[in-house]
Amino acid sequence: MATFGDTLFLLAAFAVLLVLVGTFAWKPVTKIMAERQDKIDSDLDYADQTRQDAQKMAAQREAELKSSKEDAVKIVSQAKENGEAQRQQLVANAQAEVTKLKANADKDIAQQRQDALNAAQKDVASLSLAIAEKLIAKELDPAAQQTLIDQYISELGDANGSH
Amino acid sequence: MNESYPVVSFMGLRFNLANDLAILISCILIFALVFWLARKPTLRPNGRQNVLEYLIDFTNGIVKQAMPGKEGNRFGLFAFVLFLFVWVNNQLGLFLQLDVGGKTWLRSSTADPIITLSLAMMVLVLSHFFGVVFNGTKGYLREYVSPVAFLLPINLIENITNFVTLALRLYGNIYAGEVLLLLIRQLAFSGHGLLGGVSFIGGFAIEVIWQGFSVFIGTIQAYIFVTLSTVYTSEKVISD
Repeated sequence: MATFGDTLFLLAAFAVLLVLVGTFAWKPVTKIMAERQDKIDSDLDYADQTRQDAQKMAAQREAELKSSKEDAVKIVSQAKENGEAQRQQLVANAQAEVTKLKANADKDIAQQRQDALNAAQKDVASLSLAIAEKLIAKELDPAAQQTLIDQYISELGDANGSH
Repeated sequence: MNESYPVVSFMGLRFNLANDLAILISCILIFALVFWLARKPTLRPNGRQNVLEYLIDFTNGIVKQAMPGKEGNRFGLFAFVLFLFVWVNNQLGLFLQLDVGGKTWLRSSTADPIITLSLAMMVLVLSHFFGVVFNGTKGYLREYVSPVAFLLPINLIENITNFVTLALRLYGNIYAGEVLLLLIRQLAFSGHGLLGGVSFIGGFAIEVIWQGFSVFIGTIQAYIFVTLSTVYTSEKVISD
């Protein structure tokens, strides 16, 4: 019982099924699968790239942190040095000032003392001269002498500016 | 299922309507299933799409085993449709068998040797065709005298045995399964009275078990059919 009709029917049906499945199922789904494959590939590439960038940036940041730490240490030590130098400068200045002041004061004191001594000498000399004048002028009159003495003394007091 | 089929003659060709009906139904079933599974495919696959993609990956895997290179891309769709077609036709008769007026109108079409021979012929003609497409006529003909010339008769015989074994392996498995289904069914309805009840229950249980096993056999045979088809194709397509 040769039924070649079945063979033809099978081939025709299979061909139609092949075309229909290919058009309506195979093509869209395999396209989506290929797209997904591409997307996964690109996503993986992107992730790789991002990871490398992040590593680079982390390394850079670390280097910067290290250099800034060194900078900070340098700045602090410099500031310390500066402060020390300034302090010593100030101390030296103050000492010099004090020394100068002390020397000036000593000089002033000595000067004043000298002045006072000179003034006293002058006063004593002029006073002695005045007393000698008065003594010579009123020698013969003891009473007058006495009043004279009192007078001189009071004058003396006036001259000294005690009144 | 019995051995009497509705046959019509048309333009000198004889059509076995049981085969044609089974082929038609299986084609409609396959297309409906695949069309439904492939509706609105998205980049993030949903449930239906996953099923279809799994099937596609499965048949693509079969193809890639035989043809790892880019030649395999040509045969993905063919292997996919062939697998679904053979598989559905293997299973159809397990669940749907229709006998009207003493004639079988519906059963697995792969239980008929003419159908399996037609499928095998289609596969092998395609393999020879693509052998010429990929390797040129010279390369295709050289395959018959390689590795040495005196193997020519063996190579020729191999082509015929490939064709026959591919068809008859499938036919034998499915036909035997369906015959046994029929025998178990006849056993289930054979007794009368109390014995009839016992034989019905026993026959029913055995029928269910055998159906389950036949589903397994039908799946394995569909896998084997597609695998061997791609292997035979790769022998022609990939030149050594």
